[in-house]
Amino acid sequence: MRRNGFFSPARIMVIAGHTFTQLVRMKVFYFLVIFVALMLAASYFEMPWSRTAEDSAEQELTILKSTAMGAMTMFSVLFAIAATALLIPKDLEDRTLYTILSKPVPRLDYLLGKLGGVLLLVAISLLLMDSLLSVILHFRTDSLLAHEMAVGKAQGWPQPDMDARAESISQQGVTWDLQAGIAAIFFKAMIMASIALLISTFSSSTLFTIVIAVVIYFIGHYTADARNYWLHSQKDGVSKEVKFLTQGVALIFPDFQLFNIIDSTIEGKKIAPGIFSRLATLTLFYSGIYSVLAWFTFRKKEF
Amino acid sequence: MEDTPAVQINNLIKEFPSPFRKSKVKAVNDVSLTIMPGEVYGLIGPNGSGKSTTMKALLGLLTPTAGSCHVFGKNSLKTDSRQEIGFLPENPYFYKHLSGEETLRFYAKLCGMRGKEVKERVDEMLELVSLQDARKRRVGAYSKGMLQRIGLAQALIHDPRLLILDEPTAGVDPVGSREIRDLIVDLKERGVTIFLCSHLLEQVQEVCDHVGIIFKGKLVKEGRLEDLIAIEDQTEVIIRNASDRTLARIRAVIVDAKESEFVRMGKPRTTLERLFLDEAKKSEAHNTAITSKPADESAIEDEEKGAHDA
Repeated sequence: MRRNGFFSPARIMVIAGHTFTQLVRMKVFYFLVIFVALMLAASYFEMPWSRTAEDSAEQELTILKSTAMGAMTMFSVLFAIAATALLIPKDLEDRTLYTILSKPVPRLDYLLGKLGGVLLLVAISLLLMDSLLSVILHFRTDSLLAHEMAVGKAQGWPQPDMDARAESISQQGVTWDLQAGIAAIFFKAMIMASIALLISTFSSSTLFTIVIAVVIYFIGHYTADARNYWLHSQKDGVSKEVKFLTQGVALIFPDFQLFNIIDSTIEGKKIAPGIFSRLATLTLFYSGIYSVLAWFTFRKKEF
Repeated sequence: MEDTPAVQINNLIKEFPSPFRKSKVKAVNDVSLTIMPGEVYGLIGPNGSGKSTTMKALLGLLTPTAGSCHVFGKNSLKTDSRQEIGFLPENPYFYKHLSGEETLRFYAKLCGMRGKEVKERVDEMLELVSLQDARKRRVGAYSKGMLQRIGLAQALIHDPRLLILDEPTAGVDPVGSREIRDLIVDLKERGVTIFLCSHLLEQVQEVCDHVGIIFKGKLVKEGRLEDLIAIEDQTEVIIRNASDRTLARIRAVIVDAKESEFVRMGKPRTTLERLFLDEAKKSEAHNTAITSKPADESAIEDEEKGAHDA
């Protein structure tokens, strides 16, 4: 007889693969068609009123990246929340959960498989969108660079100025920093999927899960500001208990301001490897905490 | 024969909170039953009597309030116990986006099978439930009978020793119903232990060798089907090739207690349906008698019981 461990990566992969297929067959990739249309429109779209004569090329590339990465964030976060919130109640409603849990499947495997399937789809979608963005951005950067260099040559710019200009434009093109920004979008979606997973283990409706997860997402963008304001507004300092409480609140509501590197990459700024690795660690920490809490709620849940 | 029972339920109690009352609702009340390997056990009872709750406790989908459930000696709350169980829920729905073959492959992989083993087992199961022609068709397009059959195939995919069937023929047409019944009989012959609950008492009578009648959470009657449906105060005489003259003589023999050729002597049988209805009636009458007793009389009885327990 087969032994069933507490946790089986192979079984998690089976459930994740199945969840991925389920979502693909729900035709979620149609979003990519909208993304392609958006990208093509953005690559030819110009906003003359927001430009200055000096950095028009950079601004054009920034607008392109901003449009693409905004769409990527919206898709990945909303999709991560909605798909995760939908899957468990749907399995329960269709009674497919009975047939799965009546097999030798530990509940942790089921939860992690579902989460893994959603994240796999988000990752592949982001990869496809990233590839498209990179291709368009690459050609757009080359074209703008050639144009700017031709203008510089015609106007007789000195070589150091030409090099500086070329570097400034290239920094707005396809860089590793941009890839780090897109990875940060995935991290954000990963945290939100874990939160939705936790809520869906005790929530009685998909809508409730989605609404609460979206509220937490917005709170997460103001957690750091609210905490700093509150801690600094206490004239006599704060007690240990209060500090402990604020740390607890910070754990419940993840601090999404840490993910501002996405905006930095849109602006073409460099991302230090240390910051990126800290962000990755923090994402694993948050997702791990929420997944463990989800398992705690789900392991004794009755059906 | 193996000594470890396939199913051992000991004093199972399951309570659910009631939204409008302080007290909890007892869905299953002190149920104990044992199913030995190779037996086909039918649990019968009206809607809301606790059949599905008992099954869910056995599958580890519900945690008992008190008591325990064991499958081949393993606590049903442990994941390992499910390695021995195949389960077909009532009105099963599967992932509509998968074909019949993909559905079985998914469940086979969940049970830890890989590679060639999966393919062979899937082919074998599709043949068993006669769904080879529909293997590539999406489950969403399956008829009710086909869904029950693919459900049975997924329940058997990992070759379990115990099969739990919740209303296996519910909503299936007579032909489909007969096919499922034949499959159960076939599995019984292969030595698979079967625990099923059904409203179709005639079918239970046809396939089960043990039955339990559950009513309002209590197991009111349990035992071998042959014994349960026997009428104790009557005797049945089966005679081969008896002519009118012989019958007349037998009658005389019975009167005079003289010898005759008996092919078999047994007890005439009622139907399972009648037995079930009688038990339900008796339980109803018993419950009404308890609830209609004056409060002070119940209190005296409780005191007496307490003193006796002490």
